Amino acid sequence: MNDIVIKAVDLHKIYDETSVPVHALRGLDLEIRRGEFTAIVGPSGSGKSTLLNIIGGLDAPTKGEIEVDGTDMTALSSNELIEFRKNKIGFVFQAYNLVPVLTAKENIELIMLLQGASKKARDKRTDHLLNAVGLEGRGGNRPSELSGGQQQRVAVARALASKPAFVLADEPTANLDSKSTANLLDIMERLNKEEDITFVFSTHDQRVIDRARRILTIEDGVIVKDEKR
Amino acid sequence: MIRIAWKNIWRNRLRSLVIILSTTIGVWSLIFLLSWVFGIIDGYISKAVDYRLSHIQVHHPKFQEDGEIKYYFQKGDLSEGLRDTIVGRTDRMVVSAMIQSPRSTRGLLLYGVDPIDERSVTRLDELIKEGTFLNAETRNPIVISTSIAEKLKVSLRSKVVANFQDRQGNITAGAFRIVGLFDSGDIKLDDFTAYIQKSDLAKLTGLPEEAAHEVAFRIIDLDAIPSVKEEIKEAWPDLVVEDYKELSPDIELFSSQIQMNVIIMTIIFMLALIFGIINSMLMAVLERVKELGMLMAIGMNKIRVFSMIVLETVMLSMIGVPLGLGIGYITVYWMNQTGINLSNWSEGLRQFGMSQMVYPDLDPYYYGFVATAVAITSILASIYPSLKAIRLKPVEALRKI
Repeated sequence: MNDIVIKAVDLHKIYDETSVPVHALRGLDLEIRRGEFTAIVGPSGSGKSTLLNIIGGLDAPTKGEIEVDGTDMTALSSNELIEFRKNKIGFVFQAYNLVPVLTAKENIELIMLLQGASKKARDKRTDHLLNAVGLEGRGGNRPSELSGGQQQRVAVARALASKPAFVLADEPTANLDSKSTANLLDIMERLNKEEDITFVFSTHDQRVIDRARRILTIEDGVIVKDEKR
Repeated sequence: MIRIAWKNIWRNRLRSLVIILSTTIGVWSLIFLLSWVFGIIDGYISKAVDYRLSHIQVHHPKFQEDGEIKYYFQKGDLSEGLRDTIVGRTDRMVVSAMIQSPRSTRGLLLYGVDPIDERSVTRLDELIKEGTFLNAETRNPIVISTSIAEKLKVSLRSKVVANFQDRQGNITAGAFRIVGLFDSGDIKLDDFTAYIQKSDLAKLTGLPEEAAHEVAFRIIDLDAIPSVKEEIKEAWPDLVVEDYKELSPDIELFSSQIQMNVIIMTIIFMLALIFGIINSMLMAVLERVKELGMLMAIGMNKIRVFSMIVLETVMLSMIGVPLGLGIGYITVYWMNQTGINLSNWSEGLRQFGMSQMVYPDLDPYYYGFVATAVAITSILASIYPSLKAIRLKPVEALRKI
């Protein structure tokens, strides 16, 4: 079994190639292995979000190779990319992005519905995930009835619902207070250690950086520092 | 998917309720409009059929063109099978006549009828405002309309003289006493017809009493008219057999004109509905750009996103449909019982041969038609917002505040 979950080789991304080209990534190389708990850090405009979007199959590189869980992402059509994202990648967004009209449980099982999972399988997985993120008994609550921290925990549970190859989290703690951040990081760390789930964060938050076991620093579209703890 | 679409509808309750209410009112008004139009058409047709045309008429082939007295015929009973489907038959003599009072003269068609047979076919006796419909006790009775009576300046029991051709083509005349005055509200009947006993007309014209220029039939089942018409044609191949639509092409013209108006109004309503729905659904999509971006990011494909918006639109539109249909049905039922009195416009309606009372009525088919039209409209209206949704790029949509 290939242990490398994400592999990028000579990744380039140029925006507005025709007018004023902006080089967001300039030949970036990267390998992330299964079970890593990695933070991608760097100043604004360094290329963090671009890298995350490309890893997540939301954007395509201008040049270079990107392989996720053994699949060449650049070779996939837009429909295949959607399928790939559904089955292989879990997303956690800065602003939680839960569906406000659905309950926590429904938000979590949404992706399993898209995967065509049976009700029994959905119920079992949802209960397990709610339990794993410490929200047992809150499955019937709508996002508006939950705190920011709780909403982000629902978002983590949603990201894990499809049993993805890894979870991409874009500034997951940016909107959370210290207590909620610590709580969320505890949960993600535990899931990482106990269930061997790979997490990749983009963050500015020192609290997240402190917990990460690998820190990739990006500047001007290239990785300038790769620190393992 | 249905559950998600249903929940999405209620994100903005006020906006959804406004759409539901506008659809309900629109459907109700369309149902009422259709029932009103069909009520007018039915009233127009039944008035023409009941008092003027009957269901089927038979003439000598040349009588319709020339109207001359010589184009009469004599026909006995039809076969028993046909008689079962025919409610009534009346054999009429028809001559062009000048009717004179001491003060004025009018040209009209003088019908010689058997009052009992006539009652079985037309309902002229119901239109009598004064007197009776050709009672046998008075010698040479005549029934004219109140409007002719006014023009001739005569009243009930006045005497009038009618001049017309006899069988040989000579001018003959007869004096008649007015025994009844009718008012149909149909100018074609009121201003151009008068009725006398067929036996009196036979004597004056020299025609045999069994002769007829026109035989009119009333049929039990309207759907049977075409087949009965064909059977009469077979039985009397030398005569022209026509149903009420052929006799009075204005009925078809009137119906088709009004139905065309209804189609135009339906299209206008549907267009208004389409733009209303597009506007609301576009707002609903634009408010959810980030969420739609997230759904596409986590793996909701374009077909599902498209279907979700279509489903939301159709559900939202269709909630108002049963409400509109229900209220429409109740309104039509109620109005059908009470009728709508248009006597304020009676003079105008009279010119067109239309009833003063309109009884709105609508075939169940049209309830289905309206529901289908709204469903199709909402599907069409959902296309643009749905396309807008699937054209979103998740990476850009997620950046929206």
